Amino acid sequence: MSLKRVATVASKEWREMVRDRMFVLLAFLLPVLWMLVFGYGLVLDVEKIPFVVVDRDHSSLSRDYLYRFTTSRYFDFKGSLVGEAEADDWLESGKARAVIVVPEKFEERLVAGQPAAVQTLIDGTFPLRTDITKGYVIAINGAFSADLLSDHVARMQGVSRARAEILAHPIKLEIRYLYNEEVRSSWSTIPALVMFSLMLAPPLLTALGIVREKESGSIYNIYSATVGKVEYLAGKLAPYVAVSFVNAVVLWLLATLWFGVPFKGNVGLFLISALLFVLTSTGIGLLVSIMVSTQIAALIVTMVISILPTILFSGLIVPVSSLSPGAWIQAHFFPGMYFTNIVRGTFLKGVGLDVLWPDVLALALYAAALRLVGYRLFTKRPRS
Amino acid sequence: MNGRTTSGSRRAVVWWGRLVVMTRKELIQLFRDLPIVLFLTYSFTLAILISGNGLRSQLHNASLVVYDGDRSFASRDLIHRFHQPYFRFIGELSHPDEGLRRMDRGSVMAILEIPPRFHEQLAAGEPTAIQLLVDTTNAPQGFSAAGYAGRIVAEFGQDISATRIGGSHQGLASLPIITSEHRVWYNPDQNEAWFESISALLRTITIFAILLPATAMAREKERGTVEQLLVSPLTPLQIMLPKVLAMTLVILGATAVALFGVMQPAFGVPVRGSVILLFFMTALFTFTTAGMGLFASTITRNQAQVGLLTLLVVAPMLMLSGITTPMEALPDWVNALMLLSPLRYFIEIAYGILLKGAGLDVLWSQAIAMAALGGALFGFGTWRFRRQFQ
Repeated sequence: MSLKRVATVASKEWREMVRDRMFVLLAFLLPVLWMLVFGYGLVLDVEKIPFVVVDRDHSSLSRDYLYRFTTSRYFDFKGSLVGEAEADDWLESGKARAVIVVPEKFEERLVAGQPAAVQTLIDGTFPLRTDITKGYVIAINGAFSADLLSDHVARMQGVSRARAEILAHPIKLEIRYLYNEEVRSSWSTIPALVMFSLMLAPPLLTALGIVREKESGSIYNIYSATVGKVEYLAGKLAPYVAVSFVNAVVLWLLATLWFGVPFKGNVGLFLISALLFVLTSTGIGLLVSIMVSTQIAALIVTMVISILPTILFSGLIVPVSSLSPGAWIQAHFFPGMYFTNIVRGTFLKGVGLDVLWPDVLALALYAAALRLVGYRLFTKRPRS
Repeated sequence: MNGRTTSGSRRAVVWWGRLVVMTRKELIQLFRDLPIVLFLTYSFTLAILISGNGLRSQLHNASLVVYDGDRSFASRDLIHRFHQPYFRFIGELSHPDEGLRRMDRGSVMAILEIPPRFHEQLAAGEPTAIQLLVDTTNAPQGFSAAGYAGRIVAEFGQDISATRIGGSHQGLASLPIITSEHRVWYNPDQNEAWFESISALLRTITIFAILLPATAMAREKERGTVEQLLVSPLTPLQIMLPKVLAMTLVILGATAVALFGVMQPAFGVPVRGSVILLFFMTALFTFTTAGMGLFASTITRNQAQVGLLTLLVVAPMLMLSGITTPMEALPDWVNALMLLSPLRYFIEIAYGILLKGAGLDVLWSQAIAMAALGGALFGFGTWRFRRQFQ
């Protein structure tokens, strides 16, 4: 293997790439634009759930109760309905996601010291939203019940209000949020977006770059040249690895300086892992380019094997531990998951190699294996 | 008079004949590419099966460790209430700090600490506090774990106070509290496989619908075969429309396979509305999305450029149109931007028809918005198509 030949192939590839201005522009712009759009736009908190109410009681207590929903930032009040029959339209058209029905004799029962049942109709099409809506309703009901109960106890047992509160609520749950004390969803999405961008863009750049030569036939120059397999592949991939690594650094700067996400870990560890990850994702592109012979196919295959698993199985949104066993295994076959652990670990947790070594090792193995397979499968002398 | 209508209808026959021939050409070209056929098949069958089976967007199995400083009957009772599906109890700690180390490694999501004298304080009617430490590197998940824990502890407390205040024989029935009753519509069992498999299908349709016509067009430009088409008697519309028609046919077929071959037998996904309306709307969605792809192909010069450009557009479409995260919480500017995403309308339509049994009387506004968007994109694309060669 001669480094000079590698450099020659790399410089040829680089020149070819920069000649296509729009391609280069997009290659650098893509991660930055995504980071800005998703960094500001991808809000994972479920808030402002549109809801309507059916108040059958029309008492001052029922108004007090519903006031807690209308003033909550988790709910967005859309109006009052006369009866449940109307609720159907609101839920079916998606104008409301929940309907709260306050029963008759709501005030009467509660004042008399009896429980009252409030019914909530929830749109069940999006289970995550349904579940969270249910949780919010229970929380508001719980807080309202707590006040009612304390009043009741104070009245019945003739104790002070403070004492009644202790009797009604003997246990307090103190919650401490670790690593992201204010529970900002942007702090958890932005580091993961570094993974997202580096998982999607590099395979596409690489696969297109190689298949382009195949499709246009200029790869025959390589077939007949003195350059060896290793030299060709190393030189060919070098510019894409370089572009992607520069993007990794840019994304890191955006995350820390622009979005102000804390970086508690070791920058060196992050950069080395990012390099390994970029080597892995360009390796995926290499493998795709060997399998297909047209750019259309290269696009379809890279998109299918990178975009969907990245959204679904990388821990970006759904944590890997929540997956079913089958999907859990699939997630472990997918390099994105390991890098998600590393970015969240180095950004938010500030942990080092002593904790993250299995993830770094997995990425290194991945990068090496992909290159090895690519090397074995790539032939300088195609059969047809 | 008579002669003119005959020549008019003959022209129509020729026009449609050309369209059919071109559509056939596109189909042949598509099916000649084996990797595409393989991945198309995989995406509409196996991939949907995996997503439906494996994905759970709700909090599941949050791994929990407990430091029990009391080891009493009350503390046991409380720990037992942290169970699946939300929490998975994975062990007890001998020392509180041990939990933090395990959380650093990522093997633990929440740590529950119960103080000594917990049982004693409860029995004496003194206030007591327990502590929960939650990993919020994934903020929404950490937040909902805390929410579930809060609910569990509140219920536990309520049970204790109910026996104390109301007397054990009466319990909750004699206390002025609000009980929550929930009725979940459209998917009462909260079968997540329904939601996940439908959204996997929608994502897949989007990717194929935008990508294939765009690259097919870019390929003609790159290879120069578009020059041949330009000197042929075909109009720009006759060149562009067949690419979309071919893709629409393929996607409708694949959707039928996915829906009736995978999602219904494997997950029992219902089709409560009209099947014909669903497929008609899928065709409209494919047409609109393909219009986006074709538009992208007229402002780029080769397949590599169009590939990057569509990826740039497709990722936000998939993430922000309302299946990854509910639309309501997203900032206003995202909601405004997503008015341009056909997927946003199609999500309401597809879930509406499949799960809610909605018809056009409810979904007409989404359908019109999608058709208008498609018409605009297509018209603009056709206009750009001629201009780009001048």
